[in-house]
Amino acid sequence: MNMMQRVYRHPIVVRITHWVVALAILILTMSGLQIFMAHPALYASDASKFDAPVFSIYSEMDNAGNPVGKLQIGSKVITTTGLLGWTSDGMGGEASRAFPAWATIPAYRALADGRRWHIFFAWVLGLCAILYAVWAFKLVPTKTEIRELPEALKEHALPWKVKATAHYNPLQKIAYFGVVFMLVPLAIVSGLALSPSFDAWAPWVPALLGGRQFARLWHFVAMWGIIGFFIGHFMMVALTGFWNNLRAMITGWFAVEESP
Amino acid sequence: MRLRRARFLALLAGSALTGCARTATALNDNPGFHRFLEAPERLNLAILGAGQPLAREYADKYISPDFRHNGFDPPSDPTYLAWSRNNWHGYRLFVTGLVDDPTSFSVDDLRSKFPAVTQTTRHDCVEGWSVIGKWRGVRVREILAAAGPQSGAKYVVFHCMDDDGTGTKYYESLDMHQAAHPQALLAYDLNDQPVPLKNGAPLRLKVPTQLGYKSAKHVNKIELVAALGGQFGNGGYWEDQGYEWFAGI
Repeated sequence: MNMMQRVYRHPIVVRITHWVVALAILILTMSGLQIFMAHPALYASDASKFDAPVFSIYSEMDNAGNPVGKLQIGSKVITTTGLLGWTSDGMGGEASRAFPAWATIPAYRALADGRRWHIFFAWVLGLCAILYAVWAFKLVPTKTEIRELPEALKEHALPWKVKATAHYNPLQKIAYFGVVFMLVPLAIVSGLALSPSFDAWAPWVPALLGGRQFARLWHFVAMWGIIGFFIGHFMMVALTGFWNNLRAMITGWFAVEESP
Repeated sequence: MRLRRARFLALLAGSALTGCARTATALNDNPGFHRFLEAPERLNLAILGAGQPLAREYADKYISPDFRHNGFDPPSDPTYLAWSRNNWHGYRLFVTGLVDDPTSFSVDDLRSKFPAVTQTTRHDCVEGWSVIGKWRGVRVREILAAAGPQSGAKYVVFHCMDDDGTGTKYYESLDMHQAAHPQALLAYDLNDQPVPLKNGAPLRLKVPTQLGYKSAKHVNKIELVAALGGQFGNGGYWEDQGYEWFAGI
């Protein structure tokens, strides 16, 4: 029988910012989808090229006169009726809207309210990021970890066989590094670039991102990156001892098998 | 076993999202909570609204082929239509309120009596899209100076001729600091032509450091006031529908 050992894994600031940021990102995502619905098209340029979006969601009538939802990415168009374009209005019916009511804040169409939620929780995220910054540097991968990454990747091919360890494994650490140092900063910076007043202060920021509409595209990409991270994160938390992982992020204490 | 767990997790995620959307919607409909959500606007104004940095100005080659029309239709009353057919003879821009010399100008006055300023700037709509246009007009601050603002004047209200179809007229407002911005224009030309009807003829406010709804179309009266509120509502048509008065984000 293996001996279990408890290690103090997460200091209080990390635990608090983790949960506040988790809530903020959930609300930012859902209110962001609400805002996106006001103009569900993206352009890889500074001003909008209305006849050539790189991405759009819309509804139209099919030959039989029934409304259908469409998703366009580049030259590809796929039918997404029921999920995107023509989808749940939250009142038992369906309507022409990019995202379903269950995925937006508020559930009903309300750009002004979506913006209030989004800007409020953007502040929450930004302030937590400052509070968390000191601890973030522990996520910078070491040379050894980068060297051991292929092995960790191989191990994660069978994710349910991955063992919880006292220290982050290389893949885990690089995933956290990616979200903390790349995806969230990209979301924050590209979000700021959408503000015309911010752009007057720092016109080089939207320029660096390829222009204001391109910044909106980056903002959208960052959101999907963060959603992708969340899916992987949640899956690994569930597979490597859900309650032990959850307890560690609440009390700080994490149980691991004692190494022989 | 594994499949059942995956299905269970998907179901859990679906109901978690639905629950989150429902809870947030209920909170959104609570007036007290909504006021709490509005709190950052003052902070945003204090930070981003300080100083008067200039919006980027573009070379002509970046001008959008069509300056998209959005919002209300142009006024359709006979007087406005007669003015539009007659080179805006008869139309006047009134400057009233807390000023020493209430006055008014024709479009020709604005063209001949004030220095013309040109800016090719980006127009960012609150909906998310952007277009670039070349505007020529008079600085708001020049027009205010001509009427002599009194020291009690704190806000500039821009009254417009277009309405939402139910008779409620469009209007907007700036504080004195924003009105003094060198790029805050009352524009009579767009892309070297008189401003088209759909884009706000004969005179459109242009504030490139804020979202498009701040740039009120069809302006016919500028009124200096001590405070917003009362008959000036939240300081603008869209502000009265819940949008931020500080449209800098």
